[in-house]
Amino acid sequence: MPTDDIRDASDAILVVAIGRYRQEALAEAYRRHAGAVFALSRRLLADRTLAEEVVQEVFLRLWNRPERFDPDRGSLRSFLLAQAHGRSVDLLRSEVSRRRREQRDARDRAEAEYDIEHAVVDLAVADEVRGAMAVLPPGERAAIELAYFGGHTYREVATLLDEPEGTVKSRIRSGLRRLRTVIVEAGIA
Amino acid sequence: MSGTYSHQDIEDLLGAFALDAVDDDERDIVEAHLAGCPRCRAEVERHRETAALLAQGGERAPEGVWDRIAEALDEAPPALDLAPVARRTIGLRVAAATMAVAAAAALFLGVALGHHDSHRLDNIDKLAQAIQEANVNSAAFAALSDPAAEQVKLASADGKSSARVVRLPDGTGYLVPGTLAPLPAGRVYQLWAVRSDAKISLGVLGASPGVSAFRMSGPVSAYAVTDEAAGGVATTSNQPVVVGFTKA
Repeated sequence: MPTDDIRDASDAILVVAIGRYRQEALAEAYRRHAGAVFALSRRLLADRTLAEEVVQEVFLRLWNRPERFDPDRGSLRSFLLAQAHGRSVDLLRSEVSRRRREQRDARDRAEAEYDIEHAVVDLAVADEVRGAMAVLPPGERAAIELAYFGGHTYREVATLLDEPEGTVKSRIRSGLRRLRTVIVEAGIA
Repeated sequence: MSGTYSHQDIEDLLGAFALDAVDDDERDIVEAHLAGCPRCRAEVERHRETAALLAQGGERAPEGVWDRIAEALDEAPPALDLAPVARRTIGLRVAAATMAVAAAAALFLGVALGHHDSHRLDNIDKLAQAIQEANVNSAAFAALSDPAAEQVKLASADGKSSARVVRLPDGTGYLVPGTLAPLPAGRVYQLWAVRSDAKISLGVLGASPGVSAFRMSGPVSAYAVTDEAAGGVATTSNQPVVVGFTKA
């Protein structure tokens, strides 16, 4: 594939070219999607350096295992974002658990509680996301924000919001369905 | 443990699972279920697509990171699986050292690595083929709605088998199979253009054909599909399975 054609190629064709070790195809995939991957990772990790490492890891993994992308199962962007999200959450949870152990050792409970409070208040999301999220009832919106952008498990979200776990679990699912109806099927996205 | 989870319990977890918001043991249970449940798998993919839309920010790709990626690629012999290196967040210097070790090991593990690489290439070839088929399909359907295209219906004498040929003025044509029964092993369908006394092969279509593209310029009086030995033939005297005459 001549380099000029790479810019016009579909994401699926880029993945084929990556599978055939064409670096310029990976560069184009990076140009298209690295910004979103970086933004999500940085939002979750609140750390530029760690987020950059996640970006690097996600794109190297695409280079090494392009066959894991299945276009029948979704877009390349959601594939890359799901990987970045999973990796960021892993890092976040290992970091949180490390910090919690240290805090427990130091018997410094006050600071741990401050952190959790801080995390909830500080989950400001971007304007365009707010727009899409505004269609949700407040309970669903809070559950999705804390889970997706805060990197919390639904059990943690239940604790944070002081709601039953089952309620939070079903609000995440119903909220995602509602968003899909509004964003995707109404053609806003 | 998964025995205590009903299908409904799993479904209730799918939203949280798609957002990585379940504990490790629940994640394992859902993953095991997804392996055998296409419907739940599709729901998870939908949730992830929705989440991906939420994640979109107008942020630019971070400066400098591409250079580090490109550097890592340059150091990597193409056939190596670097995933174990990439999975850990370690400094590039360590990664480079690990790759050097891996490269040395590759001399002794050529077979195993080659196997992995052929798995990759097989899957990439399948993806490439799927894209090509999708492209041919959409091009053929576009041609079918083009008023300038020549369209010919092909049918068998008993009317049970059918196909359509559509050809654009530039000579690009497509065969769109209607009902062509799959052939036994060792047999293939072949498409022909008939022009005065000559039959010109337009391609071997396989035993159960999908939409296929061909190129043929100049006038054609009829199109025919025959049943031939695998590999196809240069000339045929077999009776056509389906045939259709142009208006020309």
